[in-house]
Amino acid sequence: MSAREDIRIDIRNVGKSFPNDRADTPPVLESVNLAIADNEFVVLLGRSGCGKTTLLNIVAGLDQATTGEVRVAGAPVTGPGGGKGMVFQQNALFPWLTGTRNVMFAAENRGLDKAAARKLAEELLSLVGLAGIGDKYPSELSGGMQQRVAIARALALDPAILLMDEPFGALDEITRNEMQDELLRIWQARSKTVLFVTHSIWEALMLADRIVVLAPRPGRIILERTIAESRPRSRASLPLVQMHEDIWQALQER
Amino acid sequence: MPAARFRQIAPTLLPLASFALFLAAWELAVAYGLLRPLLFPPPSRLLASAVELVVDGVPRGKTLADHLLVTLMRIGGGFLAAVTLALPIGLLIGSRPVLDRMMQPIVAFCRSVATLSLLPLALVWFGIGEASKIFLIGYGCFWVMVSNVIAAVKLVDPLLLRAARTMDTPRRQIFTAVVLPAALPRIAAGARIALGVGFMVIVGAEMIGTTTGLGALIMEARTFYRTDVTFVGMIAIGLLGVAIAAGLTRLERVLMPWIAFDWEAAR
Repeated sequence: MSAREDIRIDIRNVGKSFPNDRADTPPVLESVNLAIADNEFVVLLGRSGCGKTTLLNIVAGLDQATTGEVRVAGAPVTGPGGGKGMVFQQNALFPWLTGTRNVMFAAENRGLDKAAARKLAEELLSLVGLAGIGDKYPSELSGGMQQRVAIARALALDPAILLMDEPFGALDEITRNEMQDELLRIWQARSKTVLFVTHSIWEALMLADRIVVLAPRPGRIILERTIAESRPRSRASLPLVQMHEDIWQALQER
Repeated sequence: MPAARFRQIAPTLLPLASFALFLAAWELAVAYGLLRPLLFPPPSRLLASAVELVVDGVPRGKTLADHLLVTLMRIGGGFLAAVTLALPIGLLIGSRPVLDRMMQPIVAFCRSVATLSLLPLALVWFGIGEASKIFLIGYGCFWVMVSNVIAAVKLVDPLLLRAARTMDTPRRQIFTAVVLPAALPRIAAGARIALGVGFMVIVGAEMIGTTTGLGALIMEARTFYRTDVTFVGMIAIGLLGVAIAAGLTRLERVLMPWIAFDWEAAR
């Protein structure tokens, strides 16, 4: 057990390698240690192939660690769900359900009856700025709107933890920036512990309480930075520009 | 006619015009001796034969409606039986990798056996009555349908299944509320292909032991050198297929409204 009461996610000595790997292939992840506090917003940052998504999937319970373990609120993770909401990079909405129904799907799994689930879905859709589009199918929505529905769907589980795997990676830069602001607003309105994966340094700088930089082969933490600056943040802020430079250097040294 | 109005109706007018042109060319080619009327009866002759078929029947007393109805019953019976069997079996095989690996060669083999090559066996097993015809159509439809249902289940986007698991979806509900609707479009496409197979098999299945049905009509007409009736029978089968396909499209739009939208958006 963790000594600190406010640790929500405790990643201990997590390593991951695949059974089909050749003996001289470095593991995807090697002894990663990371403790994330309640309501903390942590961003995992790294280039493609550094194992950041694998780490997120292990925390989500969708993938298993080869060594070490992940504890959520003190209990080892044995599978997905159970208070861990997830937003994926690609559109993972159910195409056969309307926006409202997609959100209701999660709400009903939580044990709400139809009427309560509908009410919650409408409430969450307006929280993510989509009031009134609930009757549309995902294919009728833009990429940004689809991700908003996906966030509302994850929130409908009322999870203590929100896991986000490059959720804005497929969006254009303007929409992406808007979505970042939106996410911060939602995170502040509904205190959640967020673990967010990205390969964009600026995205990490705009969002995170703490940035954790990973390097590939073997996947490991090479840098951690806590950002004290209050939100909303500006890209012109000198400390952030300096931090961007530090992270950039660290990523190049590998 | 104003240009705007023309542009509006052109999509329906143009195919009709080219069809009319085709018929006119055919008629003229026969009239001027370029085509032998016995081999290529002209459209005017076909029209007369169609009227004869509808009013008096060929052979006398068996009208087009009789032939249509019997053929429809055979295709419908075989197709529905095949779909009813193939759905649960395909869903089961598709969701169990071990079963899938076991069944793969069997499905591939049975699907590859040309249905009509089973005709002699079907006659021995089921006699020359309705049963052997429905069996042949059912056989052809079943293997196509079952392999499509298996593929539909296997090809469900794993991302959707992962999403469902992160939402505490119970196992059974993952199947009924995620796998089934996600597989539905491919299952529907499989049903369409299976129905097409039914239409391919029907003419052969009706060649033996019957004088009723569009396939039998076509064969009988050959015996009596009624090429015109063969043509009319062919056209009737084609129109029946078009009508059923249109019905399926409607059904698909009701069952899968989220895809109906895609079609309209794509236009």
